[in-house]
Amino acid sequence: MAIAKAERLMNLALCLLGTRRPLSKRELRESIEAYLEAGSDDSFNRMFERDKDDLRELGLVIETVENLDGEVGYLARRDSNRLPPITLDAEEAAALGLAAKVWQQARLAGAASGALQKLRAAGLPEGVDPYEAHGALEPRIPVHEAAFEPLMLACRDRRPVTFDYRKATAARPEPRQVEPWALECWRGHWYLAGWDRDRGAERVFRLSRITGKVRARNGAYTAAVPDVVTVRETVAGWAGDIADRTALIRLRSGSGYPLRAKSASVRELGDGWDELEIPYGHGLDAWLVEFGPDVVVLEPAELRADVVDRLRAVAKG
Amino acid sequence: MAGKPARPTNAIDQTRRMLSLVTYLRERPGARVEDVARAFGITEDELISDLDVLPLCGTSFRGGDLLDIDTDGDRIWWRNPGALAAEAAEPLRIAADEATALLVAARAVSTLPGLREGDRQALLRATAKVEAAAGEAAGASSRLSVTFESEGGVFADVDRAISERRRLWIRYYSPSRDELSEREIDPIRLVSVGHTYVEAWCRRSEARRTFRLDRVAEIKILDEPSAPPEIELRDLSEALVQPAAEDPEVVIEVGPGGRWVAEYYPHDSAEELPDGGLRITLRAPDPGSLRRLALRLGRDGRIVSPQDVADSARQAAREALLAYDAPQDAYPAPDRPRATPAPQAAPAPDSAPAPDSAPAPKAAPAPKGAAAQTGTGGTEPRTDAGSVTGTATGVGAVPRPDSGPRAVRDEMYDRQEQGL
Repeated sequence: MAIAKAERLMNLALCLLGTRRPLSKRELRESIEAYLEAGSDDSFNRMFERDKDDLRELGLVIETVENLDGEVGYLARRDSNRLPPITLDAEEAAALGLAAKVWQQARLAGAASGALQKLRAAGLPEGVDPYEAHGALEPRIPVHEAAFEPLMLACRDRRPVTFDYRKATAARPEPRQVEPWALECWRGHWYLAGWDRDRGAERVFRLSRITGKVRARNGAYTAAVPDVVTVRETVAGWAGDIADRTALIRLRSGSGYPLRAKSASVRELGDGWDELEIPYGHGLDAWLVEFGPDVVVLEPAELRADVVDRLRAVAKG
Repeated sequence: MAGKPARPTNAIDQTRRMLSLVTYLRERPGARVEDVARAFGITEDELISDLDVLPLCGTSFRGGDLLDIDTDGDRIWWRNPGALAAEAAEPLRIAADEATALLVAARAVSTLPGLREGDRQALLRATAKVEAAAGEAAGASSRLSVTFESEGGVFADVDRAISERRRLWIRYYSPSRDELSEREIDPIRLVSVGHTYVEAWCRRSEARRTFRLDRVAEIKILDEPSAPPEIELRDLSEALVQPAAEDPEVVIEVGPGGRWVAEYYPHDSAEELPDGGLRITLRAPDPGSLRRLALRLGRDGRIVSPQDVADSARQAAREALLAYDAPQDAYPAPDRPRATPAPQAAPAPDSAPAPDSAPAPKAAPAPKGAAAQTGTGGTEPRTDAGSVTGTATGVGAVPRPDSGPRAVRDEMYDRQEQGL
């Protein structure tokens, strides 16, 4: 029966961590049963390279050293792999425990647990069970978008990517070449900010509108990465959260609570209607139309015209 | 362990865990399986499978170099700790992905406006310590960020009521009916998935309900103790609500400008149309509530069926237009000062020359009545009938947020970003 990969990785890690001098591939092959059973040199070499990469993903710093005879050896030095001293009290431990379980994406959930386990091994207090302590609060970071993981890796490694993207109002996707900067989750959706090479400008993409595969490309970034990337502000602007003007509307008494909650002022008119001042940002016209005959736009004229226009379209059926 | 999502075994995660286990077990001879599993946030079965692998590992498979780690199912013994040099069993540095995962999550949780201040301070302290310990590996974590939305004051009250086991009184907004209603609830837990919700036992409907915090208009902590019946907590991670198979079918046709509907509404199918639009088929327990969607879509789309929803939207739009078509002096012109007293002619349908428009006291009558009929046949609209203990519908009743399922939520705050 083939030897499980976890067993093989574990053995390689222990060998590299346990040695004071670099171990050659030959020595490693003789110490690790799975490598002895690997068959040809080729398949052993491929397996060994892959395993080293996997251990590096886990954070192991593996050095490659050439000895006097020109033979290459490997070791994981203690001083480059040891966790620096860290002391956390029981409250801090419980808070981290809560944070470690919010990811709903397998890779990040595994990585967060892994971090906590390393801290646990380093003496993180166990008095409080993080999975029970904050029973009342269950924050979750949703990740439903297939594009998330490749983009996360591309952001991390600063690698350009290409993908097909369908704009919200476009029927067909178009290919994009992007230098990814940062990913942000807002109101449960993921967005990517980056440099759009074809447009020569910064762009924000919604991950759910990426169709097909995200492919990482070789080569360096052509545009400088800004120190601060502001995805949320861009998205909030489109979502109508950023209002630079005020609109005046009439609202039937007792209706339209969300409009009232957002309003700057409410004045009762006493005839079954109230007059409200509300922030006027992107998309307000569409929102107001939802309230049908319970809303009348007074000003500005532009908003009033937009709302009438929309109502006419619906009235025509 | 209840509430912990099961993860498929993955060689990378298992290796990472076993490396930490070796360090941990070396310090704790005779550690209990139960305690170790809890400390590592894994099931006992997962731990046992690690303990099956560890005796096959060591610095060499020859000459007793393998780790002699053994368990009787209760306690764990390491019989040859000398097989591993002390320094080979020191805690390992945090990797870049681990730092990113933990730090991004910690920063996100610390932004929860209703988090208890003591917990927030503890989290901020812990975050700073982990950043320092992770060193360079913490750098990439700035490339990911998450913001939770929740209403601070409401959150704090719900959180307090849960910990003090007290009942809550709320005034809650239902978008499908554009109405506020009062109810008493026994809160069970808070869930943040994009928006923040409280899952509770609703005393008015004697059923489990989910309330979105940004729709709670008013909240009071009552003196009465909270006594929710024992109910099994569901995994809310995938979706808070799924339409049920027996829900009425709704067909919506949208142009290119309305394609976002397919992103926001869980649907059965979305068929491409020649003009670049979509024909979307979905199921909604209360199709009447989709009137709002029809109004919002305007020229970007329309409800094809059920016919009464389409009619009701059309009717509402016509009624709304009367206010704009009325004689100019009935409304303040856009440039008139706001202080102008209200014109006596209110835009009530009966004051306007609209032969085909029946005077309606408030909005169009569609949602309420239509829902009650198309839905359960009960007295309440189906959107309100999300009980697991059984409702008039009985069959496969899927618990839904009280405000109606996602399929009918009006995007009170999350209006789509059509520009992106």
